[in-house]
Amino acid sequence: MTSPRLPRRGLLAAGPVVLGLGALAACTDGGSSSSSDAGGAQGGTLTIFSTSEDMSFDPATSQSLAITSLGLTARRLTAWKTSADAPTELIPDLATDTGTPSDDGRTWTFTLQDGLTFEDGTAITAATVKYGLERSFAKELTGGLTYHKVLLEGGEDYEGPFSGKHLDSIEAKDETTLVFHLNRPYGAFGWIASTPAFAPVPEDSGEPESYATKPVASGPYRVASYKAGSQVVLERNEKWDSSTDQARTGGPDSIEFALAQDSSVVAQSLIADRSDAQDAFLASFVPAAQLVQAQNDPKVGDRLVTSGPGALEYLAMNTQSEALKDVKVRTAIQYAVDKEAYRTAKGGEISGDYATTLITPGIEGREEYSLYGDAPAGDAEKAKSLLAEAGVKDLSLRLVITEDDTAAAEAIQQGLARAGITVTIQPLDENAYTSEVPAGDGSGYDLVLGSWQPDVPSPDANLTPLFDSSQIGGGNYNLARYSNPEVDKALLDASSTVDADEAAAKWAAVDKQILQDSPLVPLIYSKNSFLHGSGVKDFVIGEFPAYPNYLTVTLG
Amino acid sequence: MIPALQRVARSLGVLLVVLALTYAIFYLAPIDPALRMCGKPCSPEDLEAARGFMGFDRPWWAQLGSFLAALVVGRTYGSGDVLVHCAAPCLGYSFQYHQDVTTLIGERFPVTVSVAIGAVVLQSALGIAAGALAARRQGGILDRVVTAVSVISASAPAFVVGLLAVVVVALRLGLLPSGGYENLADGPGPWALHLILPWATLAFLNGAVYARLVRSSMIEQLGLDYARTARAAGLPERRIDRYALRNLALPLTTLVALDLGALLGGTVITERIFGLPGLGALLLDATSTADLPVIVGTTFVGSLLIVLANLAADLARPLLDRRLAVGGRRPATPTTQETSS
Repeated sequence: MTSPRLPRRGLLAAGPVVLGLGALAACTDGGSSSSSDAGGAQGGTLTIFSTSEDMSFDPATSQSLAITSLGLTARRLTAWKTSADAPTELIPDLATDTGTPSDDGRTWTFTLQDGLTFEDGTAITAATVKYGLERSFAKELTGGLTYHKVLLEGGEDYEGPFSGKHLDSIEAKDETTLVFHLNRPYGAFGWIASTPAFAPVPEDSGEPESYATKPVASGPYRVASYKAGSQVVLERNEKWDSSTDQARTGGPDSIEFALAQDSSVVAQSLIADRSDAQDAFLASFVPAAQLVQAQNDPKVGDRLVTSGPGALEYLAMNTQSEALKDVKVRTAIQYAVDKEAYRTAKGGEISGDYATTLITPGIEGREEYSLYGDAPAGDAEKAKSLLAEAGVKDLSLRLVITEDDTAAAEAIQQGLARAGITVTIQPLDENAYTSEVPAGDGSGYDLVLGSWQPDVPSPDANLTPLFDSSQIGGGNYNLARYSNPEVDKALLDASSTVDADEAAAKWAAVDKQILQDSPLVPLIYSKNSFLHGSGVKDFVIGEFPAYPNYLTVTLG
Repeated sequence: MIPALQRVARSLGVLLVVLALTYAIFYLAPIDPALRMCGKPCSPEDLEAARGFMGFDRPWWAQLGSFLAALVVGRTYGSGDVLVHCAAPCLGYSFQYHQDVTTLIGERFPVTVSVAIGAVVLQSALGIAAGALAARRQGGILDRVVTAVSVISASAPAFVVGLLAVVVVALRLGLLPSGGYENLADGPGPWALHLILPWATLAFLNGAVYARLVRSSMIEQLGLDYARTARAAGLPERRIDRYALRNLALPLTTLVALDLGALLGGTVITERIFGLPGLGALLLDATSTADLPVIVGTTFVGSLLIVLANLAADLARPLLDRRLAVGGRRPATPTTQETSS
């Protein structure tokens, strides 16, 4: 699980929320592009600075995005092709295509490419992919992405392969053919097949607990050394064949993860472009002070790379709270919120674009619309009249936030005050926030600030975790505690639709259907800023996700 | 021997209380380590299973009992076919690192020891020297400088001092590495080079206490009868200083022991700023990721070290001052013995 304010991110793409300064923010919004003109050569050692103490290279326990750290060592059935000016595309990885569904969408077949091998030269077969997936069901290997677990037939009772039992719904028909039997039709299974658990693992891979640091590589790099809290070194996997891989370029000869780094210190090194930071980048966002410094330092230039609009930052309204049960009151809040003030508090234009929809940019199926007016500053008069219609006076609400969100919360507070709504801000530390909000019973808050970036770029991963009634409490992210059987049905229907165009239309409709009920106020699609040294090339942040693609970075 | 045994027993008691409090506090705090291990999305069944597997579904005192037992006999997590073993002395098992806490702490301890010992040596040497010099030149420029610097260093936040040291010394001037750790086994040169900045930062932050203590106590000592008598007898000032400092041995030993114990428990901010993989960095990470076994394990080891350092100082007191030894000779006044020795 991750931070409530950054609920979706790869292991090493973690970092503090960017809090830039509004007055300076507009100066150098780099856009969601690569910082380099030409591709770099092969070779060299790339350093990736990380604030994390450890890394997991075990696909069963990893929540890493398909384009970050785990993708360097572990291939999956499918992969992502990211581009700065186009939605992220699903491409084949180990498989020859992105999966073939049966007519009813309940059976998906993948065929592996011929001649693929692990780092030790043994063959990557359908059985090794099956074993990798089965491991993700084991109780001692928990904590990873679980989207496949609720889809595979019999998955609810399966406890992993270590006791000799196998999951029949993952069928390794022969050396290269895998057939997945789902418990319901599911249209975006190709995307699910790009999540970590779909990486192959050989059966004789040693103790399950130590696989996180001693994985058997299928990607362009293998783990050469692992020192928790200090350094992880990846070296070239000589058995990796670039001609079979559309997602990775395998540029640097080796990659060093420098762990447990202080992001301010690293950012200073990168700004100064010190010799030991030239072939390096910082995995987490640039801290606020260094972001301002980098924007104003001509030496930095295009080494500061800002993503396009990404994760949805929102104000969730607790629909089970007595004060917010009436949709008219929730609609009034849509108009009362001052998104302009919120964005200024978050750092201005460089921190994001105004949001009006639930599905985030860069995801196929997204349709632009605006239900509650186009003015980012809101419409306080409209809000007042809606509250009057609802017969509500002296509305007083509790807004729960994590400590680093105080300025943003005050912007919300001031916006709502224009419509006569009193907001009390309650800052909590991250653990207390998790306990009170995603894992709580909902009695502790009326409003809450949240952020969401899906694990895969499908509308299902975008909407279901936030609005399906099964995702309320227990550490899940339906923070509005929104429960609407019609919406549950619509979500299920859209996710079950196999035809891509038909599914896209359904997702666009369900997006609007939910927002008409006003469970949350979309605030901004946040942008993330990253710094790299002058030797780093092909540092590309695609339309989705708002993180650099580690798999294609090279050195000049 | 009996008082020594009593002290050891008291120390054990303190450790148990600290441990019980740690468990109670974290049990009451809104932390559910199982949430981290449940995966995304997390079903209620998976969450319950994760709690059960990790042993967090039991009351805090039962968990404390298991912790204590595991120190002696080890522990096994899970049931049936799915088992995770943690050999004695087991300080718990981190499901985030997939490693037992004893190993995690063992791997990081050399780093923390390197930081702590160097820092304590530097801070006590610099602090005592500065305090003694300031006391000798009371009211002079040196005294004023020492007093001013010690006020600044005692009140400066560690984060600011550390960051400033990195930015100026490492990044701007390029004199030293900005962070990281090299094993002593790989050569003392790189090891020391990477530790100079952390040592200096800690010495600057903590040395002030020594300087102030030594300065005020020295001024007091130098005004006492024995010092005046010695001066009247024609003893050189340097020798009188030595007597005065010897009389400070007891409070300084206690201070050094406590500092050493505290630093061995991990220096959270310094380790983070300088990228040192020590116990402090481990604890900081565990706190943010709700890794309860690591929090409890490092807290326990940290308290153990402070208690041990305290105990060592306690047991060393009679060696430093024979008047405190059981059955030892009790002179009429402390100064008589000092001046006649």
